[in-house]
Amino acid sequence: MATLRGEQGAVQFDAAGSNNATIVGTRSWSLTITKETLDTSVHGDTFRSFAGSMVSGSGTVELVYDPDATGQAGFLEDVVTTADPADATFELFTSGTATGTDSVSFAGIITDMEITSTVGELVIVSCSFVTSGTITSNLE
Amino acid sequence: MAAADLNTVRSTIESRLATELASSPSIPVVFNNVSYSPTPNSSWVQCLLNFGAGEYLSLGGTSNSYNRITGVIVTNIFTPKGTGAGANFTIAKRIRDLYNRIIVSGVYFDAPIGPEVVSASPEGYFQTQVRVTFEFIEEL
Repeated sequence: MATLRGEQGAVQFDAAGSNNATIVGTRSWSLTITKETLDTSVHGDTFRSFAGSMVSGSGTVELVYDPDATGQAGFLEDVVTTADPADATFELFTSGTATGTDSVSFAGIITDMEITSTVGELVIVSCSFVTSGTITSNLE
Repeated sequence: MAAADLNTVRSTIESRLATELASSPSIPVVFNNVSYSPTPNSSWVQCLLNFGAGEYLSLGGTSNSYNRITGVIVTNIFTPKGTGAGANFTIAKRIRDLYNRIIVSGVYFDAPIGPEVVSASPEGYFQTQVRVTFEFIEEL
């Protein structure tokens, strides 16, 4: 089957960057990869031309908050890491949890964490991150 | 974790009501698929429990994942006709208090609806209905 549904995916994370583990209770993830461009147009050109430059990424991970769920505390508390060396590693899976398969992996920094508690609703945590260094795409 | 046992959830909900209505003043209570011939001019309660929609709460397959399962408890309260609403509403209060915003064995009960006066079925009684929606999280 060529198409996927979101629930087939997963998010793995390790604050120390050594052994990624699945964050249980992940509701969604998103990743945007952006490539800057350099204008290489020269005098006499009638059409503008560009060259690809620096690549960066950012995204979000949303959790159904469960203080006992494996991986959640380490993930959402990484936002309070001061002088963050961007040593945390992420792997975002579209399907399964096999390292390097159907995933995008990178080191990164959690830049925002928002926890929302509303009457009659589940407590939700939303974290934003930026990538740092190489982004490895295995979305084959 | 394992898939939710809906019969355990049913038992949790029904036993709570059975215990309450067995205490003084005791009121007969009838559950799904149980035959009962009410005594004319008596008070009794019918409890109908239904499970409803299930939905994905988190990423993941058959392990390390969460589902939300919802349901509703419909209690029909029958009291003698022609004697006013007081006796009926007294029973309704006992039932409301039993579930009102309570969390039992992982089952979250919402604020009750009713008692609403409805057309009596079977006839010959004054009937009200108290409904309580509930949900629980299935951890796979």
